[in-house]
Amino acid sequence: MLGSKIQVSLKYCGSCNPYIDLSKIGGELKKAIKKENDLNLVSPESNHIDTMVILCGCPRACGNKEEIRARAAQSIVVAGETIDLVPVPEKDISATVIKKLKSR
Amino acid sequence: MISGDEYRESLRRVKPEIYYMGEKIESVADHPAFIPHVNAAALTYEMAQAPEFEELLTTKSHLTGKKINFFTHIHHSTHDLVRKVKALRALGQQTGSCFARCVGHDALNAVFSVTYDLDKKNSTEYHQRFLNLLKEVQARDLFISGAMTDPKGDRSLSPSEQSDPDQYVHIVEKKRDGIVVRGAKAHITGAANALGHLVMPTTSMQEADADYAVCFYVPVDAPGLIHIFGRQTNDERKCGGCIIDQGNVEYGIVGGESLIIFDNVFIPWENVFMCGEYDSVFELVERFATAHRQNYGGCKVGLSDALIGATYALAEVQGTAKAAHIRDKLIEMTHLAETLYCCSIACSCQGYRLPAGNFMADPLLANVTKLNVTRHIYEIARLAQDIAGGMLATMPSEIDWHDSRIGKYVDKYIKGVADVPAETRMRLLRLIEGMTCGTALVESMHGAGSPQAQKIMIMRRANWERKKRLAQRLAKIGEQPRFVC
Repeated sequence: MLGSKIQVSLKYCGSCNPYIDLSKIGGELKKAIKKENDLNLVSPESNHIDTMVILCGCPRACGNKEEIRARAAQSIVVAGETIDLVPVPEKDISATVIKKLKSR
Repeated sequence: MISGDEYRESLRRVKPEIYYMGEKIESVADHPAFIPHVNAAALTYEMAQAPEFEELLTTKSHLTGKKINFFTHIHHSTHDLVRKVKALRALGQQTGSCFARCVGHDALNAVFSVTYDLDKKNSTEYHQRFLNLLKEVQARDLFISGAMTDPKGDRSLSPSEQSDPDQYVHIVEKKRDGIVVRGAKAHITGAANALGHLVMPTTSMQEADADYAVCFYVPVDAPGLIHIFGRQTNDERKCGGCIIDQGNVEYGIVGGESLIIFDNVFIPWENVFMCGEYDSVFELVERFATAHRQNYGGCKVGLSDALIGATYALAEVQGTAKAAHIRDKLIEMTHLAETLYCCSIACSCQGYRLPAGNFMADPLLANVTKLNVTRHIYEIARLAQDIAGGMLATMPSEIDWHDSRIGKYVDKYIKGVADVPAETRMRLLRLIEGMTCGTALVESMHGAGSPQAQKIMIMRRANWERKKRLAQRLAKIGEQPRFVC
């Protein structure tokens, strides 16, 4: 049942000079979201997004803009080795994001 | 906010233990060795009250909403970070010297964020204690120093491995009402003419170093606190009745530095902001270092503006200003100075928010800024000396210029173009001498950390693995990703 799933989208900052491997983390997140029964990956342009995961390569967090956050009910901001300003090692970022998605 | 004169009065009201050249100093506000440094710091108060600079040097407290001096502000946007650089440049232009107040300002911002993180992690109460201090600093417009660098003893050993445990400031006793600390802090800019010190640890630490993981505030006149003021190039000129020979008589050649001794100094708990949390020392060191290294493309560029002006004016007096190679060198000096400014502006624009809500500059770019300062300022000085000529190092003193027997010869042979008095050339040469020939330059090398400290930070942030992947994709080595992100 698509309607009961959490609609998740990924939005990248632009990847000018990332401190973390955004492609790898993005790929891990896509795979993990597909595996989870209660999560559904949608386009950032979708009309219905529950959680926007904003993937930024460094703490400057250029992707963390009001216009992007406004597309979803809530957002999770990865910015270098932090998630929502809390330090997280690069290797743990995708697992931590999935955990946050499922706890919402 | 207080005025420059009120700052001077506040210095006269405290009685810190300060020594210089074997003399116990009664009042730094009135002693010739200290007056230029006091004047430079006083300008941070005076310019804040001048309408021309008010927009740069005042702001609103995020704690009380009241108007405060910018040097007591916690940065809450990249706009604030950029403004700091502009304020430092403006002050550097007016003083031609170090005004010392940025160090404590940077320490306030670093400790603000780290105490917040510590409390979140360990349920401590450091941040609220720190906010109480910050409110007092803002309300009284206090000039405090930031004291980080320890003497370090044997650099190959950690703090706890030193044969002399006092080579790093450490806790010697924990009491019901506070802690007792011992050790020293070296090269502390503005320590002699500040009202208090915000003391921070200086290097990454392990569990064995826990007693060295200590951060606190101490007023300058706390019992057991001793300041020994450092010598500077030509500092005897400040005390020998010379005016022209001092170069920058009003503000000196660079900030005044002190060795601060902590001889079993008691610190009440209300002024303790870290006590044993060795695993958070790196964050504090990095945030303070980043904030301070961000500055150098501001203040040093302001000084360079004055130096370039002095060099250009001297070239006019010496009749060389229109020579193509002189103009080329002046262009190069300007190019180097503005490159440093670009670095400071860039690391500020790329700054980011910390969990406590305040902003810090981009660490990689801030370290690049300071590393460039260790090179460009020397090259700017070299070009100034090149244009100035050998007279920079050989000119007779103003005492001989005033002499009834030989003064006329000094005047005759120091004179440059016919319509400018010899005194003008003497004043410009002495200003350039002070700005390029001694202690001032070393400050550009080691202030805010030595070049190797910046290189270590740059190495940590360089992300060579990603750069390698970029190259491998282009050279078609191994599996090719569509993009490297």
